[in-house]
Amino acid sequence: MNKSTSLGPFMLSPALLFVTLFFLLPVVMTAVFSFTTMSTATGITGGRYQISPASLRVLAGDYQLPELARQLGQQRYHIDDSGLNILREEQENTELVDEIQQKLSGQSFTQRRDLERALRQLNHRPRNVRKIKEIAEAFQHTVGSEPFDSADALLKAIQDSGVTLTESEQQAVIKSSYTGWHWSLENYRRMVSLPDTATALFNTLIYVLFTLMLFNLGFALCLALMTHYLPPRSGAFFRGLWLLPRISPPVLYVLLWKWVAWDTGFLSALLANFDVAPRNWMLNSATNAWVFIILINGFVGASMGMLIFSSAIKAIPQTQFWASDVDGASRWQQIRYIILPQLRWPILFITCYQTLSLLASFDLILLATDGGPGGTTEVWSLKAYHTALNNYAGNLQYGYGAALAMVLVVMGLVLSLLYLRVFKFDRLVSKPRIEI
Amino acid sequence: MKWLASGLLCSALLTSGLTLAKDYTISVVAGGSSDADSYRTEAIAMAADILMREAAVAGESLNIKVEQRSYNNWDDFKQAVTLAAESGKAPNIVVTGHEDIAAWAQSGLIVPIEDYISLDSWPVNNIYPNLLNIASYNNRVYGLPQDAEARPFFAWKDHLAKLGYSAADIDAFPDKIATGEYTLYDMLNDAKKAQDMGLVEPGYGFYPRVSNGPDYWQFYTSFGGQLQDPQSHRLVFDQEAARKTYQFFIDAVKMGVTRKNHIGTPWDQWYAEVAHGKAMFWHGGTWHYARYTGKEGLTDFFGNIQFSLIPAGDRSGKANTLTHPLVYLLTDQKNDDVQEIAAKLIQIASEPRINTLHAIKSSHLGITKEQLNIPLYANNRWAMEATERLLPYASAMPNDTDFGNFWNIYWKGLEAAWTGQKTAEQAVKEAVTELRATMANSVIIR
Amino acid sequence: MRSAKLPFVILSILSVPLALMYLYLLIDTFTISEPGSLMPRGFTLEHWRFLWQDLPGRANIWQVTLNTIIFATITTTLVLLLSSSAAYALSRLNIPGRRILLGGAMVLHAFPSVTLLIAIFLILQYVGLYDTIAGVVIIKASLELPLGIWILKGFYDTVPWEIEMAAIQDGASRFYTWRKIVLPQIKPALAALAIFSFLASWSEYILPQVLAPGNHAQVLSVYLAGLIADDSHFDMALFKSVGLFYVLPVFALFLIFQKQLMNMYGGGTKG
Repeated sequence: MNKSTSLGPFMLSPALLFVTLFFLLPVVMTAVFSFTTMSTATGITGGRYQISPASLRVLAGDYQLPELARQLGQQRYHIDDSGLNILREEQENTELVDEIQQKLSGQSFTQRRDLERALRQLNHRPRNVRKIKEIAEAFQHTVGSEPFDSADALLKAIQDSGVTLTESEQQAVIKSSYTGWHWSLENYRRMVSLPDTATALFNTLIYVLFTLMLFNLGFALCLALMTHYLPPRSGAFFRGLWLLPRISPPVLYVLLWKWVAWDTGFLSALLANFDVAPRNWMLNSATNAWVFIILINGFVGASMGMLIFSSAIKAIPQTQFWASDVDGASRWQQIRYIILPQLRWPILFITCYQTLSLLASFDLILLATDGGPGGTTEVWSLKAYHTALNNYAGNLQYGYGAALAMVLVVMGLVLSLLYLRVFKFDRLVSKPRIEI
Repeated sequence: MKWLASGLLCSALLTSGLTLAKDYTISVVAGGSSDADSYRTEAIAMAADILMREAAVAGESLNIKVEQRSYNNWDDFKQAVTLAAESGKAPNIVVTGHEDIAAWAQSGLIVPIEDYISLDSWPVNNIYPNLLNIASYNNRVYGLPQDAEARPFFAWKDHLAKLGYSAADIDAFPDKIATGEYTLYDMLNDAKKAQDMGLVEPGYGFYPRVSNGPDYWQFYTSFGGQLQDPQSHRLVFDQEAARKTYQFFIDAVKMGVTRKNHIGTPWDQWYAEVAHGKAMFWHGGTWHYARYTGKEGLTDFFGNIQFSLIPAGDRSGKANTLTHPLVYLLTDQKNDDVQEIAAKLIQIASEPRINTLHAIKSSHLGITKEQLNIPLYANNRWAMEATERLLPYASAMPNDTDFGNFWNIYWKGLEAAWTGQKTAEQAVKEAVTELRATMANSVIIR
Repeated sequence: MRSAKLPFVILSILSVPLALMYLYLLIDTFTISEPGSLMPRGFTLEHWRFLWQDLPGRANIWQVTLNTIIFATITTTLVLLLSSSAAYALSRLNIPGRRILLGGAMVLHAFPSVTLLIAIFLILQYVGLYDTIAGVVIIKASLELPLGIWILKGFYDTVPWEIEMAAIQDGASRFYTWRKIVLPQIKPALAALAIFSFLASWSEYILPQVLAPGNHAQVLSVYLAGLIADDSHFDMALFKSVGLFYVLPVFALFLIFQKQLMNMYGGGTKG
C-alpha cells in the first residue's frame, strides 16, 4: 500500500521535472514577458542608469523639464585641487600629478577627449590609454554619460556635480535614465491598434483553413479511400510514398520544393518547352506563394489523416461491404452510406487536432518563403518569431514577440480544452485497476 | 656588494612578471559575409601576428589565438550574436552594420573602443571623420569602420545608346543626375521606352534590389525626406517624402517597368540578369562590382555599365547615395585586459594596407585617406572612381535604438504600396498610426 | 473486391509530383546536367566532394554528423527513460492529481512550443547550457515528453493486469514487476517511440538554429540550411547531395520500421 503510493510520484517525478522546467516555466515566463518592454536595447536581466541624449529627450519632452535636461547634458572637466587630491591618493606617479598641477591648473574642458589630448602632451604621461581616462575622470564635474549601476549612484553623482533635485525631479531623472525594461500593457495595446495584426490573423486563417480543408481532410480522405480499394501491396506502397514528406527533415523537404519552383528548376524547365519564360514560381506572386505554402504544408499534413482514416476504414466489418456488393451498390454509394458515416469521429478528431498543429507550425513557411513576398504569407506564429528573434537594427523585440506568442498560447489552451471536452476526456482517464 | 646583489634580485623578480607569457583567445564573428569578404576576420588574424611581433620586440611574450567565423546572412548572425551576448558568451569582436550600435550600446553588450585606444593614434586619426561619426553613439566612438561603400545607380550603356543617347551624353549622364537635371521620373520614362523598343523584357526597365535593405532610404532622400533632426537628433518621418516615395514605386508598377511582385526574386537570378544587360536601370552597391566581374563573368564592366548617384525624385530632393559601413565592435567581456587586446587588434586591422586588402577583394571603399596612396587601391579604377563620384554625397542611417522599428514600419508601407495592397496615401497614414503607437515621443512626424 | 484500376490511375497521377521530387533528389546528386534541362548528361561524384573536403567556410561534415547522432540518440534515450516510467505511473498507479496530469499532457502535446523560444533561451542561459548540444537535447526531450507519455500510457492500459497481479502475489515488488514483466510487454511501442523520437530530433531545425548557433554544436539541419542561405555559392546539386546524405538514415529507418511508424503517426503527432 505504502510502496505503491510513494512509487507513483517517484516514477513520475523525473518527467515531471523536465516538463515543468523546460515547458511549463517557459509558458509562464512568456506570459510575464508579454507585459514588459523588453528588447535587446533594454537587456533581459535589468538595466543601468545613464544620462544619454535619448534620456535627456525624454526628460525634456515627457517630463517637461527642459532646463534640467540642459543642465544634466553639460559636460565639464575642470582641473582643480579636489581632483588633484584624489589623484594624489590614488596615483603613485606623483611627478605626473605635479606636472598636471603645474601646467593645467585652472583649465576647463567640455569634452573628455580634449582633456585627454592635453594630458597626452605631458612628459610624465602614462603609456596606457585606460590610465589616461582614469586620470581625466578625476576632474569630471558633471554627471557625464557613463552608466551607473544603481539609481543612488546616479543621484549621488548629480548631487556632486552641484545640481540639486526635488523629489519629483529625482523620480523623473531615475525613470528617464533607466536603460532596462519596465512593466507595461503597451504590447497588447499596440497589437490591438495596429493594422498589420489583422493582416497576420487573416493570413493565419487562410493558411489553416485551406490547408486543413484541402489536404489534411480532403486529400487525406481521398488517399485513404483510394488505397482502400487497391490491392494491399500497392495500397501500402502509396501510403508509404505519401508518408515521405512527413518523415523528411523540413530543411531538405523545402529544398525539394524550391527545386520545383526555382527559376532554373523543374517547373521552369518543363514549361520552357511551351515558351513560358522561366521565373521563380514560388515567389513571383502572392497567389503563387500561397499555393506553394498550402501545397508544401498539405503534402505533409495529408499523411496523418490518411493513416487514421485508413485504420478506421479497416475496422469496418468486411461483411458490410459484401452485403452492399450483393445489393449492387455502386462504389460511390458504398463510400457515402457505409464508410463516411463511420468516419465521423476520426474526421472530427483530425479537424481539431490539425487546427492546433497548423496554428503553431511555421518552420516550413520560414524555410520556404520566410513570409514573403512582401509579408503576404506571414502567419501569426511566424510573425511572433520574426518579432522576437529578427530585427533590422539588432534590436530584438522580446516583449512584443512574447505578447504575440501569448495569443497563440491562449488559443492553444482554449482549443485543446474544448477538444478534451468533445472527446470525452473522462473515458481516457479511468482509474487504474490495480490497487495494492 | 650585498645590497647590489639583492637589488638586482629584486629588480629581476619585479620585471619577471612582465616576461610571463600571456595567452589570449580572441574570437571575431562577421555577419553578411561571403568569400569575398574573408578579410573582415582575416585582418584580425593578421593584426594578431603583428601585435605578437611587437610584443616580442619589446621583450614581452604574448600569445594570441584568433578564432574566426563568418555568417552569410544577417538574420541568423544578429540573432546568434545578441543571444550569445545576452548569455555572456559574446565573441570578442563583432563585424556588423553600424545600425546595431545604438541598441547594443544601450544594453551594455558593447563597450566604446575609445576607452581602450586613443583616437589621435595612427591609423584612427586618418579615418574619414564622417565614418567615425557613423560609428559613434552618445558622443562616444564605439567602433572603427571596417569598410565604406556607396550604393550606386546603374544603367546599361548599350540600351542607352539605342535609346538615342550619344557617347558624350552617356559620359555626361552621372553629372546630369548629380545636378538633379535627370530625375527618377525621367528614368521611368526612359525605362518604358526601352521596354517598348524591346530592348528589355517587361518589368525589367527599372529593376531594383530584391529585398528590403538600406537602399530604400535613398529614394526617401531623393524626394526630400530627412531621417534625423539635426538639432534634437530625433528620428524624422516626413509624410510628404514618404508619400512621394511610395507613389514612385506605384507609378513604376503602373507603367509596367517594375514588376508588382519584384520583392522576393532570388538574389542569384537578379545578379545574373543585371550583369548581362537584361535590365535597363537598376541600383546596387559598390561591392556588386566584384560579383558582376567575378562570378557573373562580365569582363568589360566600364564598357557596359554606367554608374551614378541615385537620381533626385523631384525639385524638393537631391541626388544621393547611402553608405552603410560595417564596423568592428568590441563586446563587453567583463575583463579590461582582454578588451584592450581586442581593441588593439581592431586598431591594427584598420591600417591602410590591411584594410585595402578587404576593400579591393570585396569591392568596398577604403576607410582612411591614406589608402588613396596605396598602389593596390590607387591602381583600382573601380575603387578610385566610386570613391570620387559617390562618397562625398553619401549619407548614412542614424544610430538610434528605435530605428529598427522605424525602418520596419517604413518598409511595410513601401511594400504594401508596391504590391498594390494600398494607395500611397493609405500606406503613409497607416505608417503614421503605427509610428505613433510604437514610439510616441522619439519620432518627429512632419 | 472489384477492379482497382480507376483508383490506381488517379492515385498514380496525383503522386507524380511527389515521386518526381524524390526521384530527382537521387538523380541530381550523381549526374551533371545543364541548368534548366531535365536530362542528365553524365555521371559524376563531384557533388559529393563535401564528404572528403570541407566546403569553404563550413564546419567539417563528419563533426556535424557526429553532433547530430549524439543529439538524436541522447534525446531518444531521455524520452524513452522518462516517458516509460511516467506513463506507467499514470496508467497503473494511483497518483494525486492524476486527471490533471493526464489532461495537462494532452494539452501540452497540442501546444505551440516554438513560440516559447525566448523564454526557453533564458532558462538555458541561466543553467549555462546555451549554445551546447546538451541544452538542445534537454529542450527537445522536454517538448517530446507529453506525446511519449500519452502514447505509452495507451499501451500500458492494454497490458492485461492479471500478469502483474500474478507477479505481485508471488512477492515481487511493484518496481521489479514493471521492469521485468510489464516493460517487455510493450516492446513494440517502445521501439516505435524510439524511432519516432529519433526521427523528430534528426529533423529538428529551429531549436538548434536558435539555441546552439555555434560551429562546435552544429547539426546537419543547420548546416544544410546555412549552405542554402549562402547565395554566393548557389549549387542545387551540392545542396541535394548534402540533403540526401542527411536524409539517408531517415529513409533507412523508415523502410525497416515502416509498420511501427505507421502506428505512431496514426497515433497523432504534430504537423
